[in-house]
Amino acid sequence: MRKKSRAAAGLLAICGMFLGAQTAYAQVEPGGWTSYSPGYNVQLKGCGQANGLTFTLTCSSTSGEQRAERRFDTYTGGTRQFEGSFKITSMGGTRISLKQTFRESPSAGPYFIMAAERGGRLYSVEGGATIASGATVGTSVRVNTVNQVGSSHRTYINGSLKNTVSSPSGSYYDKFGAYRTSSGNGPITVTWSGIQFWRK
Amino acid sequence: MRKRILLLVVSLAVGGCSASVEPGVSLTAELVTPVDVELRWSGTDPAAAGQIVEFATEPQGAYTILQFVPPGQTSYKHPDLIPETTFYYRVRPFYGSASAPVDVTLPPGDYSEKDQENDHEWAPPKVVPGAVDGKQPSRTAVPTELKASVMHANGIRFTWTDHANDEEGYLLEVKPQGGTEFTQAMVMEPDVNSVGLITLPEEKAATYRVRPFRYGPASSVPHQLTGRNP
Repeated sequence: MRKKSRAAAGLLAICGMFLGAQTAYAQVEPGGWTSYSPGYNVQLKGCGQANGLTFTLTCSSTSGEQRAERRFDTYTGGTRQFEGSFKITSMGGTRISLKQTFRESPSAGPYFIMAAERGGRLYSVEGGATIASGATVGTSVRVNTVNQVGSSHRTYINGSLKNTVSSPSGSYYDKFGAYRTSSGNGPITVTWSGIQFWRK
Repeated sequence: MRKRILLLVVSLAVGGCSASVEPGVSLTAELVTPVDVELRWSGTDPAAAGQIVEFATEPQGAYTILQFVPPGQTSYKHPDLIPETTFYYRVRPFYGSASAPVDVTLPPGDYSEKDQENDHEWAPPKVVPGAVDGKQPSRTAVPTELKASVMHANGIRFTWTDHANDEEGYLLEVKPQGGTEFTQAMVMEPDVNSVGLITLPEEKAATYRVRPFRYGPASSVPHQLTGRNP
């Protein structure tokens, strides 16, 4: 009996070694990344509400500033990666921004916007290009953005490259949550998870 | 002799690690270009309503659903992947009995500003008391009394009676007129029996049904390391 217990314990330990080794070698994009945790503040305007990582626009207003977002610290230069997953649990509206990469200088303005349309069944980027269609509402969608400042900004949806735009030199910051674009409206409830940042 | 014992222990351990899971589906992942992976699987359960294809970039997850696929589909291409990253894949069957279908034809018109200003109180998934009778396993608990109410030219509210007692969630499935397969438009929490859907342009005339579901066991978990951008 004691021998069996020892053998089982040994087996578990060796299994643990194998699994531990796999975890240690997990990779995201080409090497050299350093994980970091930028500071943020929560921006609530109009009918925007936030509860942890759940963001809600409660109204269907087609005007005014309707916003519930996390705004992360500004960075200048280098390469930054954002990773997170969102799940739209309910969306009666359309054209709600879920993730922004915002340029702060030399000219301020939204530089990259990923929005949900038509009840969360389409995703698009600024300018109207559709990056995913026929989405299943209620499932998690994974987003990775890589901003190589001075080169390009790449967006991966569920691991696949969906958008590449040039990234001029300057200062940027990340935002995610729910924000009514100029032609959009709520209501929407979206929950984010698995938020991670890297730089190199 | 010591080497032989060590080899035996390691092979037993590796066998033990993989034998702890009994995959129902055998899955392979092939890197067909430096940044494209093609998945193929076999051994699916004919009783399954379909499979979900999932990926992760760490061996222990978190897994993300790529697609719900119909029972006859046995391959999936995951294209344009993040370079130099390890992708892990698994396939899981889902089970459950679908309701009788309902046909819906919507009035003409795009998603107008007036429609968008609708407060859509009817859209969030809800559990309506009195229409829940959770007495049967989800594999046999066919939802009844599925009703579709046209709320505007691009919005439908669905209600039904839930009879399942062990579902992991509900699916709303759609087949546009002229289509051959149902696809999943929405995944909901267990016990939900009321939800609204904003339709896509190709769904002006379509057939809908709902299904309580449970996931089956995961397949083997192959992985591939993508290359540099071609």
